[in-house]
Amino acid sequence: MTKKNAETPVTTVETLEAKLAVMRAAQRAYGQFSQEDVDRIFRAAAMAANKARIPLAKMAVEETGMGVVEDKVIKNHYAAEYIYNTYRNTKTCGVIEEDAAFGIRKIAEPIGLVAAVIPTTNPTSTAIFKTLICLKTRNAIIISPHPRAKKSTIEAARIVYEAAVAAGAPKDIIGWIDEPSLDLTNLVMKEADIILATGGPGMVRAAYSSGKPALGVGAGNVPAIIDSSADVRLAVNSIIHSKTFDNGMICASEQSVTALADVYDAVRAEFEKRGCYFLKGDEIKKVGNTVIINGSVNAKIVGQSAYKIAKLAGVDVPERTKILIGEVTSTDISEPFAHEKLSPVLAMYKAKTFEQALDMSEQLLMDGGPGHTASLYINPDEKEKLAAHAARMHACRIVVNTPSSQGGIGDIYNFRLTPSLTLGCGSWGGNSVSHNVGALDLLNIKTVAERRENMLWLRLPEKVYFKRGCMPVALDELGTVMGKKKCFIVTDTFLYQNGYVKPIENKLDQMGITHACFWDVAPDPTLQCAQEGVKQMKSFGPDVIIALGGGSAMDAAKIMWVMYEHPDVNFDDMAMDFMDIRKRVYTFPKMGQKAYFVAIPTSSGTGSEVTPFAIITDATTGTKWPLADYELMPNMAIVDVDNMMNQPRGLTSASGIDVMTHALEAYVSVMASDMTDGLALQATKLVFDNLPDAYNLGAKAPRAREHMAMASTLAGEAFANAFLGVNHSMAHKLGAYHHIPHGVANALILTYVMRYNASETPAKMGTFPQYEYPHALQRYCDVARYNGLVGKDDNETFDMLIDKLEALKKTIGIPASIKDFGVKEEDFLATLDEMTENAFNDQCTGANPRYPLMSEIKQLYLLAYYGKDTREAGKI
Amino acid sequence: MADRQIIEEKSYKTVYREGNVIIKAFTASHPMSGVFNEAYIHACILDAGVPAPKLLGVSQLDGGWAISMEYVAGKTLSELAQENPDRLDEYLERLVDIQLETGKYRVPQLRNTRLKMENAIKTLTDIDASTRYELLQRLHGMARHTKLCHGDLVPSNIVVKEDGSYAILDWAHASAGNAGADAAITYMRFSLDNPELAEKYLRLFCKKADMPIQYIQTWMPIVAAFQLTKHRESERPLLEKWISVAEYQ
Repeated sequence: MTKKNAETPVTTVETLEAKLAVMRAAQRAYGQFSQEDVDRIFRAAAMAANKARIPLAKMAVEETGMGVVEDKVIKNHYAAEYIYNTYRNTKTCGVIEEDAAFGIRKIAEPIGLVAAVIPTTNPTSTAIFKTLICLKTRNAIIISPHPRAKKSTIEAARIVYEAAVAAGAPKDIIGWIDEPSLDLTNLVMKEADIILATGGPGMVRAAYSSGKPALGVGAGNVPAIIDSSADVRLAVNSIIHSKTFDNGMICASEQSVTALADVYDAVRAEFEKRGCYFLKGDEIKKVGNTVIINGSVNAKIVGQSAYKIAKLAGVDVPERTKILIGEVTSTDISEPFAHEKLSPVLAMYKAKTFEQALDMSEQLLMDGGPGHTASLYINPDEKEKLAAHAARMHACRIVVNTPSSQGGIGDIYNFRLTPSLTLGCGSWGGNSVSHNVGALDLLNIKTVAERRENMLWLRLPEKVYFKRGCMPVALDELGTVMGKKKCFIVTDTFLYQNGYVKPIENKLDQMGITHACFWDVAPDPTLQCAQEGVKQMKSFGPDVIIALGGGSAMDAAKIMWVMYEHPDVNFDDMAMDFMDIRKRVYTFPKMGQKAYFVAIPTSSGTGSEVTPFAIITDATTGTKWPLADYELMPNMAIVDVDNMMNQPRGLTSASGIDVMTHALEAYVSVMASDMTDGLALQATKLVFDNLPDAYNLGAKAPRAREHMAMASTLAGEAFANAFLGVNHSMAHKLGAYHHIPHGVANALILTYVMRYNASETPAKMGTFPQYEYPHALQRYCDVARYNGLVGKDDNETFDMLIDKLEALKKTIGIPASIKDFGVKEEDFLATLDEMTENAFNDQCTGANPRYPLMSEIKQLYLLAYYGKDTREAGKI
Repeated sequence: MADRQIIEEKSYKTVYREGNVIIKAFTASHPMSGVFNEAYIHACILDAGVPAPKLLGVSQLDGGWAISMEYVAGKTLSELAQENPDRLDEYLERLVDIQLETGKYRVPQLRNTRLKMENAIKTLTDIDASTRYELLQRLHGMARHTKLCHGDLVPSNIVVKEDGSYAILDWAHASAGNAGADAAITYMRFSLDNPELAEKYLRLFCKKADMPIQYIQTWMPIVAAFQLTKHRESERPLLEKWISVAEYQ
């Protein structure tokens, strides 16, 4: 094989296009190789490049006339050995990551054809680096060498290529342009799948504007600071070691040293002692104007020795001079020494303070090498200065007490910095990457994500006590077991005046628990009421709170509990809607650190004693804050029907049908689970069987009352975990806009919403992984059958359930329509659009099995208003 | 022919004035397309409203082609500067203002500056291929604009009339492109005669254009190479120095 591409050298557009075609075919074949085969080829190629490091280094220096052979040997060695070592065990083929539990799998695929532009400064090492990472990632790579370094670049590529092919890689997996020209370079960049561009800003900009994804990197102008606390000897010798490496051609090489004033002389002396030359008088100008021409670096001095550069500038220095140092003051770009010099020429600045040194470094960096590398020599204990430096420098690599040439390329002075000869400079340098580019940048990673279901839960108060007459027994625990000392009771005026608090107070007195009572809670509790209560609560300082009442008293007590435990909470934040309670933005404060919370319901309706919900209204603005978080869950619920025997009929009716709605919505919710289904089903049965008697006979039907009490709590437990649906969303707004009791509002729309939900072809279904297909109809039929209703098919069964509900509503005195309730048509229509949008936005909407469109909600409202046939809702 | 006054004589053309008419007469061997192209560019910029001498015609003259245009009464900025050296700063400022003003015109019919330079650099066989490669790479990395670039906007090409208004002469090199390139050309032309004035111009231009000096400097190797295609031996040392730069790494 000749040194050119086999057979036809690539010198024209036609030969290049032909080459790219065979390379693409080679890559398609290589893309099928196993990890084992790829690793064998990668190893063989690295070994071959490693063995050729000296001839390649010699060739590069001879051809380009730049740099130092011995240093280029190190670079070649590094490119072969360090790159191999870093990726030897890295998975780059097929499945590289798998988590069966989460159903996630990552599969690495090659990108395809990589275009690599190689600079003159590192022609062989960069070629080795890029070909090796392409082989490791099953990519083909076409190299566009710089005309000034084409022989050595191509030779490096050829050595890697031949070793790879000998180890089994497809022929033509690596290619190159034999006669580089800008047209061919541009063509390669346009044709490739990704560009790996190392070099000057012009070329990198061209890569980015080619229209293909590019991993381009920017120019450097590395500023080094030597702090007062630094080890001066280590600092100076590190800088000399780095700056003289390959005659200063590494992009991460130091271009300036800013020494703090108190160590400046010591730094200067150490540089002199180690063979660096400080330019005197007009020598600074002479060298400056030789090194920089019109703001660009003179091509003739790049990679030359200090002696040679001095000679070009007409300055006499000893032949063994290591670095020419210009002591300058300006960091402006009008100062030649402030530029990147690509040679052993260094600027030296004096800074009065560390802050000033940061200012100077940042300016040098941003003018000459934004995003590249910055260096700092400092006592590692100076944490604040280290942090200030890292914060200030717009550099993607910040090396500390490290020669930056060898340090920036990684893995030599720090073993977690990825080894690379292509250093990303981030957006500051106009690049797409800010890290050291490596093999992983040349992969397309496919993520295979299998459907997984959310973890669900069943969360209940730690203690739910029930059975008629259980209250004093349950309360006993507060004293005898828990040793509570102070109890604060929250209730409403009616209950207080009618002696409902007395048995509790008696029990507390008996146990020696002091107590206070707030009995001013009104229906739809307000923030102002809660504030009043919490004022008393704070001065009393309870270690247990007892909420006695219906939903309003229990909600008000929960809010007071929050304000008592966390006086600084913001209700707007707490009430922020969420899609998933576990992913909500707001983290609810931890409750229960000051007081234990006991809820004792006196109506069979809200289930608030076992739910994590509470609603509070700001009376001055009218804002309602629905709060939902398991932190709001009472610690103990005491369900004693003795507290409920004498509920008025209206309350029995409204709260009873509310229970039914809770149970039905929880049962068809997208979050319904086997844990909540049983609770919900049993609640429906208890309501169907007992609500008529409870309504008609009241305290004369104690068993019916007791069953309704259980139904209420069961339904509460169900919807505390499975949540509700659009029936509640609509009822919330209907009730608020038209002053309809909550339970009645639910009842007025219940059968319409059920017909609507039961559609087998909903416009949109609810989003939840567990909710697989629209199945509300089957779920409603489960309820029907549980209640003994069996038709000839699901539709008839469902009709029977609807009929039974309509009959129940009639029995307990629910009006036939919203209109019949007494809402004026003009008032209703005037608020309809607003109600619709607010109902859509209600927190309950998300769990509905059918994701409602606003127009659909509006139709439902209208049907329910006029009391139309519920079948109409089934057609929506 | 008694009042024919020769203004400029070159191997391929003679420019003279006859009363209120300026005639640019090209030799018979000068390509016809070149003459018509120059007249076309001139017509385009006049159509765009750029202040320049009125074009009167293209005609045959002594076997070659000639462009005739209106003579603009007044003095060029360079004449003014020679007459009033103490007002040099004022004239420099005028130059920069006029250059920035020119850049606001859009003349889409004109050739693209970048392509023009690219073609010129490709013909520069007396510099080595690597240098050409780097120059072209640099050119490709430059931002692509469509501002009117005169291509040789020096004080001798700007006539200030008695009423203070101005006209720009010699549109042969005009193109549409990056204003930084046009400024770099002006800077280069100053540098060939008067480096100090060149620095002054550059600072003033960048300040008024709110442009970083590096931006203009990046163009310098490119415009130097472009200028080399004119093969003026006296300019060669400076221009060769300017193109011999490496890209930052």
